[in-house]
Amino acid sequence: MAKKGSGQNQAEENYLNESRRNFFKQSSLLTALAVTPPAFLKAAEEGLDEKAAGYFEKMPLAIQINGVNHDLSVEPRTTLLDLIREQLALPGTKKGCDHGQCGACTVHVNGNRVLSCLTLAVTAEGKKVTTIEGLADGEKLHPMQEAFIKYDGFQCGYCTPGQIMSGIACIREGHANSDDEIREYMSGNICRCGAYPNIVKAIADVKKGGQTL
Amino acid sequence: MKNIDSKTHTRGKSIYLDDIPLLQGTLFGAAFGSPIAHGIIRSLNISVAEQMPGVIKVFTAKDVTGENQIGGIIPDEPLLAEHEVDFCGMPVAFVVAQSDDAARAAVKTITIDIEPLPVITDPREAKARGELIVPPRTFSLGNVDTAWQACEYIFEGIAETNGQEHLYIETQGAYVIPQENGALKVYSSTQGPTAVQRASCRVTGLPMHLVEVEVTRLGGGFGGKEDQANTWAALCALAAHRLRKPVKYSLHRMEDMAMTGKRHPYSSDYKIGFDKDLKMVAYEATFYQNAGAAADLSPAIMERTLLHCTNSYFIPNVKATAYSCRTHLPPNTAFRGFGGPQSMFVIESAIAKAADTLGIDSAVIQKKNLIKTGDEFPFGQKAVSEAAECWKKAEQLYEVNSIREGIKDFNSKNQIYKKGLALMPVCFGISFTNTAMNQARSLVHVYFDGSVSVSTGAVEMGQGVNTKILQVAAIVFSIHPDRVKVQTTSTSRIANTSPSAASATADLNGKATYLACTRILERLKKVAAEELGVDENLIELKDEYVFVNNVQSDLDWKKLVNTAHLKRVGISEHANYATPEIYFDKAKEKGHAFSYHVYGTAVTVVTVDCLRGIYEIDAVKVVHDFGTSMNPAIDIGQIEGGIVQGIGWMTMEEIIYDKEGKLRSNALSTYKVPDIYSAPKEISIDFLQSDKDNLAIFRSKAVGEPPFMYGIGTYFALRNAIKAFNPLAHIPFNAPMTPEKTLLALYSNPQPLSKEIKRKDEEAVTSVAIN
Ligand code: FES
Ligand code: FES
Repeated sequence: MAKKGSGQNQAEENYLNESRRNFFKQSSLLTALAVTPPAFLKAAEEGLDEKAAGYFEKMPLAIQINGVNHDLSVEPRTTLLDLIREQLALPGTKKGCDHGQCGACTVHVNGNRVLSCLTLAVTAEGKKVTTIEGLADGEKLHPMQEAFIKYDGFQCGYCTPGQIMSGIACIREGHANSDDEIREYMSGNICRCGAYPNIVKAIADVKKGGQTL
Repeated sequence: MKNIDSKTHTRGKSIYLDDIPLLQGTLFGAAFGSPIAHGIIRSLNISVAEQMPGVIKVFTAKDVTGENQIGGIIPDEPLLAEHEVDFCGMPVAFVVAQSDDAARAAVKTITIDIEPLPVITDPREAKARGELIVPPRTFSLGNVDTAWQACEYIFEGIAETNGQEHLYIETQGAYVIPQENGALKVYSSTQGPTAVQRASCRVTGLPMHLVEVEVTRLGGGFGGKEDQANTWAALCALAAHRLRKPVKYSLHRMEDMAMTGKRHPYSSDYKIGFDKDLKMVAYEATFYQNAGAAADLSPAIMERTLLHCTNSYFIPNVKATAYSCRTHLPPNTAFRGFGGPQSMFVIESAIAKAADTLGIDSAVIQKKNLIKTGDEFPFGQKAVSEAAECWKKAEQLYEVNSIREGIKDFNSKNQIYKKGLALMPVCFGISFTNTAMNQARSLVHVYFDGSVSVSTGAVEMGQGVNTKILQVAAIVFSIHPDRVKVQTTSTSRIANTSPSAASATADLNGKATYLACTRILERLKKVAAEELGVDENLIELKDEYVFVNNVQSDLDWKKLVNTAHLKRVGISEHANYATPEIYFDKAKEKGHAFSYHVYGTAVTVVTVDCLRGIYEIDAVKVVHDFGTSMNPAIDIGQIEGGIVQGIGWMTMEEIIYDKEGKLRSNALSTYKVPDIYSAPKEISIDFLQSDKDNLAIFRSKAVGEPPFMYGIGTYFALRNAIKAFNPLAHIPFNAPMTPEKTLLALYSNPQPLSKEIKRKDEEAVTSVAIN
């Protein structure tokens, strides 16, 4: 019992070592990014540091997107937005600024709204992500999608996926009790076409409907 | 009818440029823009960039296979700077690499040595130095010089408006794929597919039939993708042409903001004269348009400034002159209203100045001078006016008098918050001011299974034009809308298109579609008459069936088109539409510039927090001349959106270039556009139904641009609220009225040191003790 056997235990040992190594690699990577960005960037710029490339070594990522489990391998610097759009080919989530300033990239992580352009994909490890593509159940639209259609809550449609994801979260958070409250809690989602009045109506209507979202 | 894009928009299934699936081997471009605004290029170092991993090629001016030129109206804009740079962000090199990241990383290694030249950012300074894009133009009516003598009151001053960033949420971009035989397929996020085609051909040296431009849809355009989409498409086209590989460039938001032009800032002088009854007698205005470094669309925009210089008013003696001034900013460009809003702001300022001085409400002057049917615009066209109708209806419907009383009452009871009211009449001409552009084509195919395909030159960018075009086809054929598909916009299907602009897209392309469908319908009726053995004149198509003398027959749409096909009757048509009646004589500066005008009146109420200078728009209530709207839901959306954008321009959207011509408001954090919280609390829209004009499709009237100018009312409402707090406030006519400027105005020129405030609100005053 106290003595380590061979065979199976050796495999386990190897596995653990491997995991430790991975863990170490990951944490040192994060440390490296956090602590020494200038040196690191310099290395990257000069293109001579093999180690720099090592920092971008891909990391495993288990993530559920729209109900489908994915085992992926991503660069640690990949944003959730780029992962969704580029690696998973789900272009419904839009990139309007990539700086957390427009709301077009809003998705749900474990049911809460996040700006996917400000979220590193690796931080969603083990989490459930819902994008605009994951709302409808086959041909049956989500009530918020229905409401946006009913109230014409869009023009060009570019901000719409973000608005809808945000609108759902706004209700879930309990922030849709009045038009004023809706406005305040939707103010992170810019619509340059100015479909605002109809967006407020759509969210208020879903809230009134009282469905659990 | 619902917007036909409803389903795909809400499901995230609409395909914009950046969503087009990439072909294997696609390369990515990124532009290196000039770091300074004006100077001579001494040297450009791209050698490090060329060695960067993943980099395929770095293009510079010498790699241009055709002509290094993309200027549309005037050839004054190189695709890639060669000897000189004229604005910050002017593309100098274009890196093409295997990934987006690699391209952008390589751009950062490019260095340039520039011998700086003086930078001009102010249009008046440019004019003083003779830096003009085109010679100035003057519109005149009557004789101002003698008219001043007949005036009882004369007021003069300066009015200025800042630019405006388009901030379409989808940034600019292009994706070009080489085809067989040296051809190129260009996907572009553009309002002007033909402009992109022309620019791509020019820089590659290819003829137009080898370059197809296709546009799926835009995530907003607002004028910003009319000519400014050309650069990115031309760069990708050049690279794809040289490398024979697909090349894509989708701009980052900050690149887009820094490198593209915006609405033109204007600085203007005005002089207005009235008789003793406050009738306008004479008006003189000089407009200095800040065109930026190249012509782009500036000359056309300047023209519209002149065409709208009297807004909704009749003035018998007018002299308006405009200068398009070359500065070292990115070339400014089209933006909803196209120079019209800028000149309307000037005349509204002139009226406000008069009202201030005379101690009356601007509305008194505005109402007295509204243009009537038969009155002449300064460019010679006679008005068919709905101005008074809109104004009167707005006054009655929204009970403007009681709003006014309510505000008086509120202001007398509140010290810290003040409300202001303004009315804003708008009169906006519909048609391209360049007569040749008032044409459109439509290609309609009826397939023998009964489905219908429509292609036009219209680009869908949220204005709902595709829905309207689909309605036209469904109405003419009297079939279910589901049978009709409006296709993407492609220069191979529709050639020589005019851009989707000037609010005229639905009018022009709708009419062309109407013509094409009607011709097919005539042929189908003939077939039906033969089949049923009756006279052709008795045939009608209704609800998917052939009716004979108002009686439904067995012959339905599907059978009918199938029969026509078997009888070898053509069930496709390509039709051309040219707007009748319009012309313009530039030598005389007179003509019938517009097919018709759209009128409206907006009533705006705002509340200013006089401690902090922040404000809220309580309500914007509008009576708008829709003609007979084809799609009220879409049109209401256009009005609401236009108002919000107009308010943004007048209030919070402040573009800041420093003296060196560098954009300081270069992201959404430093450039604020209205969010849902800053949009008006209430927007009411009333349809003034009129059917006097029959020039647009189904008696509708264009709706894209006119509502933008309702936003100007917000500026003057804010002004009135500030005056309610400080009657002596010094408020220069200088838009936007940001909270900062509001605060300065509130406490300007003798600061109202309100003992009353002190008495009633001790605490608040401690924080008022500014200045
Ligand atoms: S793209 Fe994420 S907030 Fe704009
Ligand atoms: S619908 Fe165009 S940005 Fe919102």
